[in-house]
Formats: sequence, C-alpha cells, structure tokens
Amino acid sequence: MAAAIDAPAAVPPVRPRDPVVWLRRNLFSSWPSAVATLVLAPAVAITLFRFVRFLVVDARWEIVRVNLALYLIGPFPRDQVGRLWIALAVLAVALGAGAGAIAATARETAEAAGRPLNAGWGERIRRAGPPVLLVVGILAFASGVEPVLLTVGALGLGAAAAAVTQRLSPRGRRAVPALTVLGIGASLAIISRFGGVPATDWGGLLITMFYTIGALLLAFPIGILFALGRRSTLPVVRWGCTAYVEFFRGSPLITLLFVGWLILPFFLPPDFPTPGLVTRALIIFVFFTSAYVAEIVRGGLQAVGRGQREAAQALGLTPWKQTRLVILPQALRAVIPGLVGQAISLFKDTTLVLIIGQSDLLAVSRSVTKQDQFLGQGYIVESLTFVAIVYWVISYWMSRESQRLEARLGVGTR
Amino acid sequence: MDTQHGQDELIGKRLVPGGTGEVMIELRGVEKWFDDFQALTGVDLVVGRQETVVIAGPSGSGKSTLIRCINRLEQHDRGRIVVDGIELTDDLKDIQEIRRETGMVFQSFNLFPHLTILDNITLAPRHVRRKPKKEAEEQAMQLLERVRIPEQARKYPGQLSGGQQQRAAIARSLAMEPKVMLFDEPTSALDPEMIKEVLDTMEELAESGMTMMCVTHEMGFARHVADRVVFMSDGGIVEVDDPDTIFSNPREERTKLFLSQIL
Ligand SMILES: Nc1ncnc2c1ncn2[C@@H]1O[C@H](COP(=O)(O)OP(=O)(O)O)[C@@H](O)[C@H]1O
Ligand SMILES: [Mg+2]
Repeated sequence: MAAAIDAPAAVPPVRPRDPVVWLRRNLFSSWPSAVATLVLAPAVAITLFRFVRFLVVDARWEIVRVNLALYLIGPFPRDQVGRLWIALAVLAVALGAGAGAIAATARETAEAAGRPLNAGWGERIRRAGPPVLLVVGILAFASGVEPVLLTVGALGLGAAAAAVTQRLSPRGRRAVPALTVLGIGASLAIISRFGGVPATDWGGLLITMFYTIGALLLAFPIGILFALGRRSTLPVVRWGCTAYVEFFRGSPLITLLFVGWLILPFFLPPDFPTPGLVTRALIIFVFFTSAYVAEIVRGGLQAVGRGQREAAQALGLTPWKQTRLVILPQALRAVIPGLVGQAISLFKDTTLVLIIGQSDLLAVSRSVTKQDQFLGQGYIVESLTFVAIVYWVISYWMSRESQRLEARLGVGTR
Repeated sequence: MDTQHGQDELIGKRLVPGGTGEVMIELRGVEKWFDDFQALTGVDLVVGRQETVVIAGPSGSGKSTLIRCINRLEQHDRGRIVVDGIELTDDLKDIQEIRRETGMVFQSFNLFPHLTILDNITLAPRHVRRKPKKEAEEQAMQLLERVRIPEQARKYPGQLSGGQQQRAAIARSLAMEPKVMLFDEPTSALDPEMIKEVLDTMEELAESGMTMMCVTHEMGFARHVADRVVFMSDGGIVEVDDPDTIFSNPREERTKLFLSQIL
C-alpha cells in the first residue's frame, strides 16, 4: 500500500522493441494477415529486386546521358544556354530568400508560443532527401564538370540567400516576398527578353516547370477570388463565379487546350493581338486549375464556423478585412492537402502540352528513342523510367512538404 | 388595485434609464421576424450609461436575438434602436460606428484559432482603429493583466482552458475601448470551476463603469451586480425591475414560474 504510493508514478511505461513482437503485431496478427504476408512479401521482394537490378545493372542509361540536355531544355538553342544558368542562379536566390524568410517567421512564431521547433538533423536530412536525390541523379548523367560546378554554385547562392534572410529582423524581412516575386519575374525575363529565347522554343523539364510554376502562381489567387465570389451577396457575381467554376471543371483539360490552341484565335477581335501559343496554353492551365482551386477553397470557407465571422463583425472589422484576416487564413489552412494535391495534378497535367506540339519532358522521353542510335532497341523503357522518377521525386517532395506545413500550422489540433 | 397605474409603472421601469441616468441604449418597439416566426414582438427598453442590465428568460424567448440586434448581427424589422445617440439604420457607416463602440462576448468565445491571444486582441485596434503595433500590444498586455492571464499572451486559443479563453475574449472586446458590452451567456459553455473567474471579471468591469447587457442564467451574478433584471418570454419583455424586487417579489406569474425552476 505505502509502497504503491511511494512508487515513482511519473515514469512512462517501457515498451520493449522486440522484433519478434513487432513482426507478430504487424505482419502475423491473424491467419488472414499471415497468409497475405506470406504471399505478398515474396511478390514485393521480387518486384523490388528486379526494379533495383534494372536501375543499377541492366538499364542502358546512355540514352539519358547522350540526351540529358534535351530532357532538361528540349529544343532551347544551345548557344543561349548561358541565360539559363544566370536565370537559375537568380531563381535560386529568389526562392532561397523566400524560404529563409518563411522559416524564420515559423521559428519565431513557434518560439513565442513557447514550443520551439527542434528540427533535428534526421528531419533535415529527410527533408532535403528528395531534392538532393533529384539534382544528384540528374548531374550523374552530365558530361564534364562545368554543369556540376554551375549547379552547385547556383544552389550555394540560394542557400546563402536563405541564410541571410533567416538572420534579418522581422522588419527587414518584410520586403522579401516582393523580392521573391521580382526574382521569379527577372529569371523569366533573362531567358526570354533582351534578344532571348521565346517560350515556344523551350522544352523538356524547363517548359514543364514553367507551366507548373506560372500556372500555380496565377491560379491560386484567381481561384481564391472565385471561391469568395461564389459566396457574394450579389447574385450576379455569385452566378458568374459558379458558371466559371462549373464550366472549367466540367470540361476535359485536353479539350480546353485544343480550344485555346485552335479556336480561341477566331473568337478574338480581328485587330486584337493574338497571344502566343505558350501564353494561350498557360491561360488554359490557369483557367482549369483556378476552377479546382476555387472549389477546394470554397470547402474550406464552409468549414469556418459562423461564430468567426460574427466575432469579426462585432469587433467592427470591415467585410473585406473580416474575410482577409479571419476567415480566409483559417479556410486555407484547412485545405492545404487539397491545394497541394491540385498543384501535383497540374504538374503532371502539363504533359498534355504535347498535343499542341511542345516538347515537354514526357514528349522528349519518347522522341529521343527515335534517334538513329537508339531506334527499335526498346530504349523507351529506360527513357520513360528516368522521366517517371523525375516526376515522382518532385511530386513526392511537394506532398511531403505539404504534410510538414500541415503539422506546423497545427491543422486539426487547434 | 388600479391596473392602469400598474401598467404605467411597469412601462416606466422599462423606459427610465438606470446608471447615471443618461441614455446609452434605446430600444423602441423592436420587432424581429425569422420568415413568418416572430422572435421579438415589440421590445421597449432604455439602458442608462454605466448601467448593468441582466436579461433572463427561458430558452428561445429571444434574449440572444435582442442583444444581437443591438450590434446588427441580426437586422431588426421594425422599431428603433439607438446606441449612444446613433440610430441603427441600413447606413453601413452607422453600423460600423456602432460596432466599434459595442463589444460582444459569445457563449462559445469565438476567439480566432489561427492567431495568438495577443494577435486576437490587437487585430481590431490595429486594423480598425489603426493603432501602431507596439501601442496595440502594450494595451493588450494591460488588458491581459486586467483579466489575469498575461502569461497566456503568446499562446493559441486552443492551448487555453475555457475560462481563460472567455477572459481573453473579454480582453479582445475591451481593446476596442467600447462604450457598451454585450454578453450572450458567457459562462454557459464553461465547467463550473471556471464560471467564477469569468463572472469576477465581468463584475469588475461593471464596477469600472461599463454599460453592460448580459444574457445569463447566473442569478447570483444578477442579484449582486445588476442594476436591473429584464425577464423575457416569447419574444417580449415580461417584467423589468431591480434585482431585489424581481427575486423576492416578482409581479408576473411567468417570472415566478421561471425563477422557481432556475433557483
Ligand atoms: N437564424 C434564425 N433563424 C430562424 N429562427 C431563429 C434564428 N435565430 C433564432 N431563431 C428563433 O428565434 C427564437 C429566439 O431565439 P433566441 O434569441 O436565440 O432565444 P434565446 O437566446 O432566448 O434562447 C427561437 O425560437 C429561435 O428558434
Ligand atoms: Mg441564446
């Protein structure tokens, strides 16, 4: 009795990590699960083994090695590649600065709330894994040290920019978002303006990333506006926004791209300058994605309780500030997984520009197998595997980062 | 007994402001309809500056609707509502003005879960009153001292107990330096041990001279703090009197019945 009271009750129970216990609990907990394990485990093991053996032993990677530039930039004129390196450096600095500012804000908020973020090295390595894997994987096929040095240099500049903005005061960081957007714009201009290369001549991973990032940057704000519009008190606005969302959600993307490519020019007034092919495709991606974003955000808006708007009203905030400061931040937090899912969809859907004749990453992976050297020898397997891995790593990275963001913002926990 | 005289006296109790005697809130013939259901059936009431009025009555009698009409969370259909000399019309400017002057505390707190307590409190002063951030934060810390939770400033609402959240919500309303505070069952969602800390905060506020309208079932609070108690039923005011009279000697049967159930 007395002993029970004296016992140190505050020690958590020790859970032994016995592999046998683990196996029994996870793989052999019942007869059906034991059977499933016995059947599936060898199947998975054989598939994995064959896949890895293909990757490291059987695959004839020379198709990637010879054509690496095509995969990355398509028909982009080779004498203009210098612009790409400069743009890459500018982009790395812009994105690095933005990431640094976000990280610093997150750190300060967490510290102020009395639960500092303790990002251990394990977590950092896991986070950096996908992008490092991607860069190393691509550079492994590069010929010569020049691309390696330039890439490492650009990434180093990005890391330096991140380190600098992390150390800025909150006041100093205020200019960073604008600088980031400016940097993205500048890197585009460096490639395409001042006697540069028009986007119609871009290809490979470059055009894929251009459509993805460009359409995301435009589609997110537009989608949010349409989501808000669907809840407007003005019927005309509400109907207009609903019609927009339903139209673009109801049409297959491939149809819309054909419309943008072939039909749109006929609808424009005769003396109206028809936007270029790439601009038209980008606009279609923006229309399509923003309709989905609108629908996702609308769900988030509905999830915010009525009391939140009432409290904001009672404080005397104007309707727009009620939305911007109270409703929207909560709505967006609630739908991060859906928004990132949409971003990943868009990233993969950009492969459809193939139908308007652009050589994006996927198109290149097929066209290179028609080169004399590789024709008719089944090189499509290696080529598609390489491209699939690139798509997968980037998608996986986005999804991991969104989960982190979700946990960080404490969705569902408060 | 002269019923006419009794009526006049009753109406007098509704229309003579307590507190300093100056009129702060004036309700005349206020009606509210939800489709074809009449939630307020012509309410007359005058609340004086620095007065504390407690509104009691059975569930569904229109208590929430009444105080929500005062800051236009509900729109009244007939009658007049005047707050500190400003009549509530469809004029958006007047509505904003009245909302700035009027704080409201909800049963479910309605703190903003994505903001720290400090940011909850400084949001309106900064974005409505355009106070500089530093000044707004100093004021917020003073208010948090006043409601006795200064150590919670950097936490998020979800990390606080119900009683602490409600006191933070009171501090958030006070940050706009309102002339009137409206409370809609501020302790109904709280565990018993937290009710007292919120009632104490409200009592101190009343003593500091705030004009308050409180919907509450806490009859101890009504007895000690209220200048007048309003008893409502079926969308109308049944009886208005000072707490001593209404508790010891209610005039109306419905009041008696309600008090016998709640006390
Ligand atoms: N938004 C609404 N729509 C329809 N009926 C409502 C609405 N709000 C309140 N009511 C009705 O009005 C009456 C008064 O409600 P309320 O003021 O909330 O009562 P109390 O706060 O006294 O419990 C109730 O019968 C309620 O059902
Ligand atoms: Mg109520």
